[in-house]
Amino acid sequence: MSETTHSERTDTDSTIETTAGETIEQVQESWTDYKFQGEAKLTSEGLDVYYGDDHALKDVTIEIPEKSVTALIGPSGCGKSTFLRSLNRMNDRIRSARVDGSVQFDGKEIYQEGIDLVELRKRVGMVFQSPNPFPKSIHENITYGPRKHGDIETGLLARLLGRDDWDEAEELVEQSLRQAALWDEVADRLDDNALGLSGGQQQRLCIARCLSVDPEVILMDEPASALDPIATSKIEDLIHDLAEDYTVVIVTHNMQQAARISDQTAVFLTGGKLVEYDDTDKIFENPESQRVEDYITGKFG
Amino acid sequence: MASATESDLISGRTDSTEAVAGIAVGLAALLFALSLATFFDVVSVTGTLVGVPVVPLVGGLLILLGGAIITFGIGSYLGYVETTPSPTAGLVAAVAAAVPWFVAGVSVGSIMLGSGSAGGVVLGLVTGAVAFAATAFPREDLGSTLPIGALSILAGLVLLSGIIGPEWVWDLGWEQQASLTAGFVVPALTLATSLYVGWAAAKAYGGFGARGRHVGAYALVYVNALSIVAVLVILLAFTVFRGIPGLLTGAEIGLGVGPEVGLFGLSVQLPVSLPFVMNGVALLNDYQGVLPAIVGTFWLVIGAVLFAVPLGIGAAIFLTEYAERGRFTQAVEVATNGLWSTPSIVFGLFGFAFLIPRFGNGKSLLSGMLTLGFMLLPLVLITSREAMLSVPDEYRDASAALGVTKWQTIRSVVLPAALPGVVTGVILGVGRIAGETAPILLTMAGGTFVPGSQTVDVIGGFKFTATPPFVANPELLQATSALPYQLFALITAGVGLGDSVANPNDFRWATALILLVVVLSFYAIGIGARYYFRRKLQYE
Repeated sequence: MSETTHSERTDTDSTIETTAGETIEQVQESWTDYKFQGEAKLTSEGLDVYYGDDHALKDVTIEIPEKSVTALIGPSGCGKSTFLRSLNRMNDRIRSARVDGSVQFDGKEIYQEGIDLVELRKRVGMVFQSPNPFPKSIHENITYGPRKHGDIETGLLARLLGRDDWDEAEELVEQSLRQAALWDEVADRLDDNALGLSGGQQQRLCIARCLSVDPEVILMDEPASALDPIATSKIEDLIHDLAEDYTVVIVTHNMQQAARISDQTAVFLTGGKLVEYDDTDKIFENPESQRVEDYITGKFG
Repeated sequence: MASATESDLISGRTDSTEAVAGIAVGLAALLFALSLATFFDVVSVTGTLVGVPVVPLVGGLLILLGGAIITFGIGSYLGYVETTPSPTAGLVAAVAAAVPWFVAGVSVGSIMLGSGSAGGVVLGLVTGAVAFAATAFPREDLGSTLPIGALSILAGLVLLSGIIGPEWVWDLGWEQQASLTAGFVVPALTLATSLYVGWAAAKAYGGFGARGRHVGAYALVYVNALSIVAVLVILLAFTVFRGIPGLLTGAEIGLGVGPEVGLFGLSVQLPVSLPFVMNGVALLNDYQGVLPAIVGTFWLVIGAVLFAVPLGIGAAIFLTEYAERGRFTQAVEVATNGLWSTPSIVFGLFGFAFLIPRFGNGKSLLSGMLTLGFMLLPLVLITSREAMLSVPDEYRDASAALGVTKWQTIRSVVLPAALPGVVTGVILGVGRIAGETAPILLTMAGGTFVPGSQTVDVIGGFKFTATPPFVANPELLQATSALPYQLFALITAGVGLGDSVANPNDFRWATALILLVVVLSFYAIGIGARYYFRRKLQYE
């Protein structure tokens, strides 16, 4: 799976375009030569997403390597969040959305008949832009997913039947909160309502909740955009640590953030097109595309 | 020197200015309270207050009030009082002043001058126009005080001079033999005038201008809010005071005086005897009571809630979470709102014509429960739907992103978050159905009185049989009574009270009081439940 190139697409595109258009197209497609170390976790091929008549994402082909941080950047409305949501089929929840093309997770097509959405979303977790803990206790927030999946049983019936997994639940809560770097702050008030936490703590709780179902990929949709600089830096450190065990895909508006935390960066520009995808250093220091350079230096977008 | 804009920033008004306007506001409030007290017979128009006959006293106070507000306005215009008036009092104030002056003109023209209706209208138009002009054209301090102050003086003169005295009656002379008496006209006149002058005085207190208008508007909306509380308190007090004597008839406290109550095989003799709520009606009773109706109301509400709440919540879940917004959901919405607006007597007729023939062909508790359940259904559906729509989509997204199925999400996240709203809907609905008379009259109620021995016993009524239908409950299929129906029957017919009720009027008021207490108890339970569920959702 590694070191794949998409030369056939580059060929067809560049031969069709003429003069001025040709140069742009050739530059835009140059990312397809990008080779990364390791295995590809998520692969999309020719992915198109429509909201009604609106063609939000156009022909996106990309490979996302495992156990690394991949940043998706670009101006508002460029389709980067749409792309993120199509990786765990959260777009299914939008009634007008229609998806064409292919997304493969560990080599398996997720847009096929018979895919188990429960299992897919357990493995490909998601953290949203604004912190959205449930109006329940911190403990219940963490155990919510595993309980609903039947992985741990803590209910009244389980207790009566002698199948109480209370210890496992405690262990899971502590482990998830430690992974999300929140344990020390909330260890003594696990039964308090999660809405009483600060914004940054809530967001780390959401990350812990996402980790509680033991995912392989974590999708993050601007997870720090609603937070202050200190909370943001905590989240960024956390993302950095998570990349050792998980594949992280993060959408961000903040280019410094992308430069700080990601291993590779994909740049989407207006019209829902993936314009360039490369090592983060390469993107920020020496992008191939003039439009990407303009965007990164603030001349456009 | 201080210009107009600077005096806005730092008020140059003295304490004495504020005091004059403050006294005017206080006087208006006093008159407002006095008029309300007169309305509710706390103060009689024919009586005296602090040694002065009420009507002239009110008249004098109105003149004083009018004089004070006019003095303030002129003083402000001449510069003795520092205010910040706008160039004009505005269109709203002008129309507001023109309306009472039009009414005053019509009244004076048609009654006192005897010039007939047409002449009255002409005079009314003239006085209305003058008041409009007098408010709209001069500077605000004159415009908002002069016409209204003059109105107050006019009203005061009418009362003080005895044109409308305590014994005044205006026979309207229509076929209905209707007449207006001083008992209504004096407080109504005082109420309206004191509100107007209170508004003007509040504007004066704020020094006119933007601040004055703010104070004036504040005073008016404050009175509105206060009136709502006042209405409830007065209604409660009225019922309680009149209901207590009947309720306490034959009441005894002491060991061994109360009836025996059996619970789980234990028999306890209550130390309190309150025959009104512990007895039914029987020939040999010392005191008659309404226990069967209380129990009937209780079971009626329980049955209706058990029927309507699961159905309503289920339908709300389908509409908010599953159904796509379209023709069908719109049709359901229209149907729901239509059902909620349907008059209760129509529900009653439906129950009478449809349910009764199907449940034993006689009026029964079950028919009553179902009829009231149908009435409760739309409100539960509407409020549950609103509550579920107000649950943020973020919760649903978060749950879906964890791979949790839709139904589990609804059950574990959406419903708990929507529960306080659902409970609010049920509270409102129960308040309505518990007091319904018409459907009960048609579907459930037996005779005016139900003997105490026929108090419905739903739990004890279940019978198990070896043959179909296996479970039966004859209690549910019996006619019984409920408080609102009983009250209605007592008032319209008053039959069957017999010699053992010394004072039928007390008996009626006590029934009304018990009805109020039962409905408010359901309300209190609902509020408690809502508080509990809300606490679970919130931090701190």
